Amino acid sequence: MQLAVNIAVLAAIYALIACGYVLIYRTSRVLSLAHGELMMLGAYGLAATASLFGGHPLIAIAASAVLALTVGVLVYVMLMRRMTGESVLAAVLTTIALGILLRGLMILMFGTQTQYPLQQLGWTNASLPVGAGARISAAGLVLVAGTATVYLGLFAFLRLTRWGIRMRAAGQNPLLAAQRGIRLHGVYALAWGLATFTGGMAGMLIACDAGIEATLVTIGLKAFPAALVGGLDSLLGALAGSVIIAAAEVLLINYVDPLLSDVVPFFVLLAMLILRPWGLCGTREELDRV
Amino acid sequence: MRKALAALLVATAWPVAAQDAYVVGVSAAMTGPGAGIYAPVVDAMKAYLDHVNAKGGVNGKQVRLIVLDDGAEPSRAAANAKKLLSDKVLMLINTSLSSTYAPMVTESKRSGVPLYFGGSVCPKDTYPPADPLQFCSSAFGANLDSQGALAFVKAQAKDPVRIGFAAMAIPIARAEIDYAEGLSRTMGMTPVEKQISPPPAPDYTPFATKLKDANPNWVFSWSPWVSQVRTFEAMRRLGWNGRYLTWAHLNAEDELERIKDPEFHVIGTNAFFQDNLPIHAEIRAITHRANLKYPVTYLTEGFIAGMVIEGALKNTPWPPTPQKVLAAMNNLKVDMKGLRGGPLEWTKDNHFRTRQYYRVWRWDTSRNAVSRVQDWQAIDVKR
Repeated sequence: MQLAVNIAVLAAIYALIACGYVLIYRTSRVLSLAHGELMMLGAYGLAATASLFGGHPLIAIAASAVLALTVGVLVYVMLMRRMTGESVLAAVLTTIALGILLRGLMILMFGTQTQYPLQQLGWTNASLPVGAGARISAAGLVLVAGTATVYLGLFAFLRLTRWGIRMRAAGQNPLLAAQRGIRLHGVYALAWGLATFTGGMAGMLIACDAGIEATLVTIGLKAFPAALVGGLDSLLGALAGSVIIAAAEVLLINYVDPLLSDVVPFFVLLAMLILRPWGLCGTREELDRV
Repeated sequence: MRKALAALLVATAWPVAAQDAYVVGVSAAMTGPGAGIYAPVVDAMKAYLDHVNAKGGVNGKQVRLIVLDDGAEPSRAAANAKKLLSDKVLMLINTSLSSTYAPMVTESKRSGVPLYFGGSVCPKDTYPPADPLQFCSSAFGANLDSQGALAFVKAQAKDPVRIGFAAMAIPIARAEIDYAEGLSRTMGMTPVEKQISPPPAPDYTPFATKLKDANPNWVFSWSPWVSQVRTFEAMRRLGWNGRYLTWAHLNAEDELERIKDPEFHVIGTNAFFQDNLPIHAEIRAITHRANLKYPVTYLTEGFIAGMVIEGALKNTPWPPTPQKVLAAMNNLKVDMKGLRGGPLEWTKDNHFRTRQYYRVWRWDTSRNAVSRVQDWQAIDVKR
């Protein structure tokens, strides 16, 4: 039972991060390699709002969520918008540059010390029993529930709302979508905003569970294989890829060798690239674009 | 012959008259994954030397510290070392991850300029018989730390010890925890599980689950703080109630207060600020003047490095050359003023220290304060 809980928490972490990669790629065909940094910025945002609104944790959380969304929109408006019409490679390189810039800025602004936003919010990360002797941390439980809510919300948004349908249309054929009157820049800005919001949420929840450290950026990259295994343009695929990779990691740690947990995501990714290069649920014709 | 040639090269290349200060060069992880551990050391070292300069310098000359960021990347460390040597530094200092050691050692050997590890893990080359050019004052001591830690476990344990081990998957930590595992057997303990987690792990619970399932009554961890403490916290959340012993990094005093677990022990070689020694008051005052952004408890290691540099330069007659600095470092005794259990001594053969002293602390719930469980315990550092 504990193994199942461990898989669920790790899969939730990967899925929450991976959906940011998918949202941006699916809408604009840009692979954001600054996602780890934006995730970390979300975590620092929570630490900042927690100290700003001391004693009002819900306001601090809401403010940091709005901040993450706004940062994502601003990244598009001020930077990525200028990459529209340029080659995909140029846009990807721009995200790398953005990541380096953000990393430097975060050190300047927040220093190098570990921060614990959960303590700043005045909460503790309790251990909760979940049956059959298994336990989960409160932050872990919120992570699993939050990831489920985000995915359900995104599925509903993309299928049932006007902006969601526009986003899917822009992702499928931007030229046709523009000719039908869809404002592509608005759609792309929303995609960046949502991706940064979900990435920021992952950063905040990981920070609540384990604190904010410089290594958080690398965790952002660890979710990348999950997105690729699932198919870079599929949210459902990101979810499935996250579960597969999390299960492989946890089971190897428990039954074989903990050291393998670091390489198994890339082993699964290689296997997938050989057998089904477009991923579990990805679109086959997207392959050359990837 | 090669050494003599290198010495000749350095002697002719160092234009002594052009220098008006003792110039030392640092390559440090001021950014990147290790910055949280290394940046405070460098800033404290700089603050201490600024304080020395404000008091008139060393032998009437100023000490100039050139700090270059290597981001914990070997390639940048190599470039930094070359740049620092072109700036004619008298001593190279490494305050970074162990992956940056090799390129700096190469440059040090090529130029004949001594390499001092201040705040980074001491390489075994500094132990007797020491490499002629490598020196170290950092608290960590491979193998010795495990000896000190397991001796403490043995002294504390009333029941047979079933010990688990946890480390991060970096070469230096893995080697140490492998050594500790072997040592535990020779000391009559039963090693039950060893978990090596990658840097970084998004969630330490899977590693902690395996450790907890082995049912150890003690766990020893020697790694970067993130790995040590996350494994412990995850084990506690899984319901494990054994005793945990881990290395006291810069943030240990503050972290003991945050964690507040009476069975979470830290072992280290630097005195805590709760001792309130006169040197602590001095560190507080210098930190305040330098407007450093770190908690004062993080700064001991950097001040020790500053004191060692001052001591080495004090014994270096003007005009200085790397050879004169090397000679001074080969016969150095620095009074630690209570920051450690005894003075730091380097000899021609021993560039680590002749004696390593360990203390152990934990959180005392009855006093609601950090409490010392074991006072200075000395281990002689021999061949």
